[in-house]
Parts: sequence; C-alpha cells; structure tokens
Amino acid sequence: MKSDRALTHDKTEFDAVVVGAGLAGAAAAMVMAREGLNVALVERGQKPGGKNYFGGAIYTHAIADLVPDFMDRRPPFERPVTEAGFWFLSEDGLTRMTVQGGKLSAEPADAYITLRANFDPWWAAQAQEAGAFLIPKTTVVDFIRAENGQVTGVVTDRPQGEIFAPVVIICEGVNNLLTQKLGLIDRDLEPAQMALAFKKVISLPMEQINARFGLQDDGHGLAASVLGDVSLGLPGMGFIYTNKTSVSIGLGVMLDVLATYRLRPYDILQRYLNHPAIAPLIKGGQLMEYGAHLIPEGGYRAMPKLYAGGALVAGDAASMVNALHWEGTNMAIVAGKLAGETAVEAHSRGDFSERVMSRYEDRLNEGFILRDLKQYRRFSKFLETHPQFMDVYPSFLNDSLGQFFSAYGKPKKELFRDMLGALTNRRGLLQATGDIVSMARSVMGW
Amino acid sequence: MTTRRFWVFIEQEEGQVHPVSWELLGVARRLASQVAEEAEAAGDEVVVEGVLLGQDVRGIAERAIGYGADRVYLMDDPVLASYRNCPYYLSIKAVAEKYAPEVFLIGATTLGRDLAGAIATALNTGLTADCTKLEMGEVKGADRKLLLATRPAFGGNIMATIVCRKHHPQMSSVRPRVFPAPAYDPEAEGEIVQEDVEITEEGARSCILEFIHAKEDTVDIEYSDVIVAGGRGLGGPEGFGIIKALADAMGGVVGASRPCVDAGWISYAHQVGQSGKTVRPKVYVAAGISGALQHKVGMQNSDFIIAINNDPNAPIFEVADVGIVGDLFEVIPAMIEEIKARKEARA
Amino acid sequence: MFHALVAIKQVPDTTNIRIDPDTGNLVREGVPAIMNPYDAHALAAAVEWKHKLNGKVTVVSMGPPSFTSTIREAVELGADRGILISDRKFAGADTLATSYVLAEVIRAIHEEDPIDLIFFGKQAIDGDTAQVGPGVAVRLDFPVVTYAVNIRAVDLDDATLVVERRTERWTEVVETALPALLTCEKDIAEIPFAPLPDLIRSLRYEPEMWTMDGPIDFETDKIGVRGSPTIVYQMGTPPLPEPGEKINAREVGVDEALAFLFKKAEEAGALTTMVGGAA
Repeated sequence: MKSDRALTHDKTEFDAVVVGAGLAGAAAAMVMAREGLNVALVERGQKPGGKNYFGGAIYTHAIADLVPDFMDRRPPFERPVTEAGFWFLSEDGLTRMTVQGGKLSAEPADAYITLRANFDPWWAAQAQEAGAFLIPKTTVVDFIRAENGQVTGVVTDRPQGEIFAPVVIICEGVNNLLTQKLGLIDRDLEPAQMALAFKKVISLPMEQINARFGLQDDGHGLAASVLGDVSLGLPGMGFIYTNKTSVSIGLGVMLDVLATYRLRPYDILQRYLNHPAIAPLIKGGQLMEYGAHLIPEGGYRAMPKLYAGGALVAGDAASMVNALHWEGTNMAIVAGKLAGETAVEAHSRGDFSERVMSRYEDRLNEGFILRDLKQYRRFSKFLETHPQFMDVYPSFLNDSLGQFFSAYGKPKKELFRDMLGALTNRRGLLQATGDIVSMARSVMGW
Repeated sequence: MTTRRFWVFIEQEEGQVHPVSWELLGVARRLASQVAEEAEAAGDEVVVEGVLLGQDVRGIAERAIGYGADRVYLMDDPVLASYRNCPYYLSIKAVAEKYAPEVFLIGATTLGRDLAGAIATALNTGLTADCTKLEMGEVKGADRKLLLATRPAFGGNIMATIVCRKHHPQMSSVRPRVFPAPAYDPEAEGEIVQEDVEITEEGARSCILEFIHAKEDTVDIEYSDVIVAGGRGLGGPEGFGIIKALADAMGGVVGASRPCVDAGWISYAHQVGQSGKTVRPKVYVAAGISGALQHKVGMQNSDFIIAINNDPNAPIFEVADVGIVGDLFEVIPAMIEEIKARKEARA
Repeated sequence: MFHALVAIKQVPDTTNIRIDPDTGNLVREGVPAIMNPYDAHALAAAVEWKHKLNGKVTVVSMGPPSFTSTIREAVELGADRGILISDRKFAGADTLATSYVLAEVIRAIHEEDPIDLIFFGKQAIDGDTAQVGPGVAVRLDFPVVTYAVNIRAVDLDDATLVVERRTERWTEVVETALPALLTCEKDIAEIPFAPLPDLIRSLRYEPEMWTMDGPIDFETDKIGVRGSPTIVYQMGTPPLPEPGEKINAREVGVDEALAFLFKKAEEAGALTTMVGGAA
C-alpha cells in the first residue's frame, strides 16, 4: 500500500499533507492521490465532518467535476432541491417567492440537501478510495520550516507527531489559526467579518413534511432563504431545508451585531421558530440537534494571501464564501481541487517555491471563485449599512401584497395608491430607488 | 434419599463477617422452603449449609447457625488466614466436589467477585452475577425445581431470568443489601463440620506483603445505605454544610450532581451520575438537583428517593418517591430536627 | 523479553445512554461501540511495562468481526500483535464458555511464545460480571489478583510480581509468582495519547483472525450455547416506577410537608434506615 512507504524510515513522510478532511481537504487529497501522490489527510475530529456544520445544501456541479459517477456511489443525500427561493418575514406576515419545475427538475438535481455528519465522511471516503491516507483524531498545530521559511511539513499534537512533506494544503476551516501562523494573514478573525449561524434539526414524519411544505414525496425538497423579521431587522439571513424525516431550520447573524446588541442566538432562533407562519410547519416535531458554526463573511476583502513556499490555503480558511448566495461548500471543493492540481504540478517540476505555488491563484482566477468573491465584495457590509432590507422592505412587501389580496370591493386606483403609500410611509420614493441601485451595485460588483 | 444442599459462602476478613453472608443465609432458607414439598414427596432431605474459611473462626461458624445454617463446613488453617484466591478456591472446590451442593450463593463483594468466577470455572458450572431476585421455580423439562436467578440487563431496562439446567451447583452472586438479613436466633441448633485443608503455603503462590488502610478523607459513596446529594440549588460550596448535617443525622454520606463538582464546590469522589458513581442506596435525598437524565441514570434504582426542589417542574420529581416543592434551606434543617427527635424517641 | 497479553472486549458505550422518552427503553441505534474502558486501562498498564522492560504486548479478543476496530485501537495504544477469535459458533457463550475459548487461545500463544503477565479489565461495562478473568486464570492455573490498582515491580529473573490490590476496606500489597493474571481498575494506568507512528500503524493493521477452522481445535461442546451452563430463561421489563407524590411546602408549610414525607417513608419501609440504620 502506498502509505507503507511512509513507515519505512524513522520520519513520517508523505508527498503532501492536507490539513482538515472537510470538503476542500478531501477534494485536494482526491486529486493528488489520483495522480499517484502519497497523501496524508489529517483530521482533528474522530471522523471527517465531526466539526463541520451548515444549513444546508450541496451544489453538485463541484462534486460531479471530481466524481462524475457520484450518484452511483450512493452519497448520503436527504432530498434534492426541487423548490428554491426567498421567504420574506414581517412581524406577523410571510411572503413566499419560490420557483419549482423548469430548471429545478433536473436529474440529478443541481443541489441536494444533506447533513454534514453524513456527507463529509462519504466525501472523504472518495478520497480514501483514490488512495489518500486519512489520519483522524490528530490536530496539526504548527509547520516544519526550512531556514528560508519554506514549509516542509507539519507538526501535530501527538508525540513523535511530525509529518514531512514538500507541500501542505491548509483546509482547516473558519478558525484559521495555521493560516495566521504562516503569516498569510496579519490578524485574527474579526467579529465584523464573521457570521454565527445556528440551527435546529427537528424530526417529523416524512408524510408530514411532504404535506406541510407541499412536496410530492421525498424525492422533492425545499431550500429557502428567509429574510426580514427573522433577524430582528439586523444583518442576517434565515434558512429552511427539508431533509427526509427532519427539517433544518435556522439563521445566521453577524457576530459583531450579536455582541453589540447582546443578543443570545438561542433566543433569536426561538423567536423565529415561534413566528405564526413558521411554527405550524414544525409543530409536534422532536428536537434532534441544536448546533452552531461560524461562517466567514468577509469575502474578498478578508481573504488571506493564498499561498507561500510549500503551502496553499483553500475553503473557509481562505474566506471563500459568497455571502448572498451562501455558497461556501462548492467554492471549498473547487478550490481544494485547484490546490491539489497545483501541488501535482509542483511535484512534476520538483519545485515547491512560492513562485510555483502562485499558480494556484492563477487557477482560481480562471474559474468563478475569485471573480464572484470580487463581485460580491461589498455585500455583507451592504446589509449592515442598509438595514431597511431586513425590516422595511419585507414588511412593505407583506403589507402591500396583503392589501392587494384583500382589497375586494376597493377601487383599484385607491388600492395602488394605498400600496404605494405603504412604501412611502416607510421610505421615500427617492430613497427606495437609491436603495435598489445600491443593492444592484453590491450584487453586481459595480 | 438424597440431600439437597443450599450453600452460602460465609465471608469474613480479620474475623469480621460481611453482613451479606447473613442476608444470603436468609435467602437460602427461603429457597430451601420452596422445594420442601417436592423434596418430601421424593423422600429427600433439604438443608441450608454455610462454608467458612479462615483461621480461628469457629465463633463465626456458631453465629452462622444462629442465622439459619443447619450445618457449617469449617476450614480453619493458617494458610487461609487472609483471603487469597488460590487457597480459597481450591479448598472450596474440594468440599463442593465432596458434598455436591445444589445451589451455592456468594456475596458480590470484592472478595466474593474475586472468588466466585474461580469456583464456578473450577467446578465447571454456571454463575449468575448480581442477582436481584432468586426463586426456586418450575422449569420446562426439568424434573425438579431449579434456581431462577434474575438480574438487570441493558442498563436495567430489562430483567433477565437465568437458569442453569444441567450443571451444579447452580451458583449466584448477590450484592449486599439486596435482601434483608434474617433474625438471629441464639437458641438455634446446628452442626459444625471441620474439613481438612490440603493446600500448603507453597501451593498458595501469592502472599500479602502489606495492608494499607485508607486515609480518612477518601469517600466511597457506593456502599452507603443513605446518600444525601446536593445540586446547583445549593448556590455554593457552603450549601454542602446542611447536606452533610442531614447525611450525618441519617448515618449516610454526601453526594453531588456534576455541576457542583465542575464548579469546584466538592470533590469528584462525591459525584453521582453518568460520569460519576452509580448508586443504589436505601435512601437517596436529592436536594436542589434538577434531575437531568445524566444524574438520574446514576441514582434512579435507589429504594426510596426524596427530592427537594424549589421548581415544581424539575424532572427529579418524576423519579422521586416523595417530592417536596420548597426551599431546601428551610426543609432540610427541619428534617434534621425531626430525625433527631424520632431517634431519641426510639432510644 | 517481557511478553504481556491483554484480553479486550468491545462494548456499547453505556455512558452515552439515551432513553427513549416514550417507551423508557434504551436507545441502541447510534450508540457508539468502544473498547471496554477497564480493558483500555489494563492495556495502558501493559504497554507501560512493555516500554519499561523492553518487551511486547499481544491483545486477544473474542467476538464478531466488528471487533476488529477495537483491535486496531489496541494497536494504536501500543499493542504489537492483535488476534480476533471470531466464529458464529462462539455466539451465545456465557462466562464459562467464554473463559474456555479465551484460555485455549492464550494457552496456544503461551506455548509458542511464553507469556509473563495477563491483563484483564476488572469487568465489562455491558455484562458487569467480572467472572471471565478469574475463570481464565483457573483454567490456565495462573495465580490471579483482581482489582489491581498499581504494579509496583515485575521481576522476570525471580518470576515474581508485586501489585497493589484495592478492596472495599483496604489496599493489599500482594506478591505473586509469574506468570500471573491481573484484573485491573482504571487507576492502574492512564490511557496515553498515542504517538503518531502508533496511530498510523493501527490504521493499517490487519488483525489475525482465528476461527473454529484454525489454528486451534476447540471442543464443540464447550463453546457457544452448548458450552454455556446458564441460559436466559425469560426476559421481562422491570416494574415501572410509580410516579411519586409531590407536596408543596410553600403551600402547606414545612411541618406538614415533612409529616407527609415521613408517613410515606414508613409505608415504603425506608423510615428505619432514615432514623436509625439497619437492625
């Protein structure tokens, strides 16, 4: 077996070390192992995914890119996303804008709802199948460096815990201590650039989920982003995902906002779950899990330098998350893959210097990751400076639509005037137009 | 005519008898009476006999007769002065092979557990450990009643009744205080039979170099009849003052829930619960303990559970036999007074 | 060379008990399987002495194929060789049949590669009988010391062992001849955080599998159900605890509440214990 080569000397040696067996790490390991490299995939948890948590749904394009026959390998998916969209919550109202059918009836679907504790081990198993050697229950705490600073391996928390390797790919997740240690970023995580996302997984019989969410069967699922009252008008976003026999429901709020207003995540979550439109959906369900995780929201501006001599960074550790679309998992997978390809290139050249490592950034620029991150760079800040998107507009929407649908017998001219008034009572027309332009700018990256 | 022998191992160390021996004599007497009818019909004799090993322990044999033994087989020899596995199990094996007892009961103490497995293996028979119920009962396909030994399984959620059909003796170990001790009858009559001890010191293969006695402050709450446990409701380490006072008044020990230990109010030796000790005292008082599952699994098999808590909805009330909703700082001192008063009345 | 053998068992992690709130039963799905904690500590002690005396540790386990993960864990903790005795015919074994199989396996290993000291955990947390260790000792005719909490000395030249044994009342310092068998308390050694090379080795380790087909001949009437004198005759649920009674001292006063308490205690037969201890 490939890994036996590592044991013949007193030193533990591999061709590459990947720190973290999450989505980015397993992708990087998979790519390198397929090219015949001896890869150590080092995971601090008991098993991959033990430390990972999300909403959420996996976008399959990134999976398919690396494992084209992924559906044959029985990934632990819950339901396909066959309905997706936005729900706008006001204090007592709800407007739903979702889309089904059309592009969302593809098979396999473009996105599948899943649970990380199930999915990550499966993903890492694909890397193991390709020949990567998973070392669990072991935490990387530092680097081995040559005199010129070049990374030549890692130090783990175990006795005799050094692993030598000419290239190390850091996929350590949001708490990027190693990235900081390497000097790729000059500061620790800042609350203003972090969201805390927390959710409950509530179990319900499959038929009840189908009935309450209007889903035909367990081959149909809903993924919705929930805006507005869910975060008390503060920068944040809620979500609902339907699993086979449970519902993942939660929200994320910017960490500095939580601190400033001394909010307790559990209380905000409960308020959301008690909302008159939400409560009936989960009534009678049993709480299976309650958990939280940090999400890096700083985007493009918060990214560290992505490479150094002998080292690369991918995934949450490199802040590769698109805040609006909550796209972090596919960015992680793609970045992991590109990091792996860069490492393979370095091996074929026998050159692991910073110059060769910089090819990683070239690869990222060719794809969507860096471009999208650049485009959305103003988005999280945008929500903070434009709170009206979380309170005024959702409540206006619910109010005006509510009027529209209850205005039987009212002259329509009056109705439309009232509806406009519902907006102008809250926000002047000029300001509203300005808001739309700002929103477009922050989304389009102008 | 055969003699059906119901045996009990009389455990002693340094001349002190472990009370479980008397409790088991009571059990053996009851089991013997359950086969009296079928024995009479078959013309068999039924006896309860004790097995006693040690040095200069004849007096204990006499007491065993007072607790109900018809006969005591006494092996008295320097090689048996202190308990050691080898000389004890070999000696017992010899007498068991000589007399072929039907049932053999041993207390599940440290000594008993060290010994029982060795005897059962040496006699090639079955042993059921930690039984909570013992009966002689009809078993399909057996021509006489067999020992039905019941013990908890799967964390106490299932009670399993075990039988040993073909091998003898049918052996069971029983924890102290599962059964009550019988009354002592100083007039009781019985026989003491001294058996030879073939084991020599060389055959013993181990020797005890030293006995180290525990220091004062080590606490072993597991064996106490009474545990008074305090929880977060105590508000701080000082709260354990009245807990100890109540424990002292009842002759018990102090227990604690995990949050108290984590907060440093009391040492881990007192912790009751999933990550502490599992206890099954006769009386368990939970004061200021909410009764989370992790605590409950450590004490729910106590005989009589008293809960004192300010919160009427505390889960501890689900497992308590008697729950008092109130301020423990008022209730407990009053309880201590009441206990002292009753003690004096009895004296 | 010092050769220690450790008998280990995989058990459900009963400290992670979840009770189904509806049925009150143990939830068994998702309960992780672990190495019996007492066995793990026993193994740690064996490995400690392996290092001190420059020796080796063999582990054996009797169970279904799923026990291989526990053997690997043992290698991670320092075992050099791991043997799993697994065969459907062993299933249903009580402690007598189990001690027979284990003793035969250990005897075979001992004949090829003499063992100095056998380690058992004091009991398995699922069965709690504590019988197999002493049973194996009797079959092998090794002296046994149970409840071992500290090994003071191992003298391979003199073939003696000095070990501390803790009973309810005191700690004994026992000297015994080697080879011997110990059953161990958790105090005997701390479980180490394995060095990386040991972990890596364990991840690739393939335990040796012994079955009824070899390398040992077992007597069929001594194994499995046939070799078990005891059988489960009946299973039942324990009587459901009656919901207790509550009294509100804040409403009726402390005295009234206590009167209620003592009355209930007397009815339950607990009063004697509370006010005076057992007769």
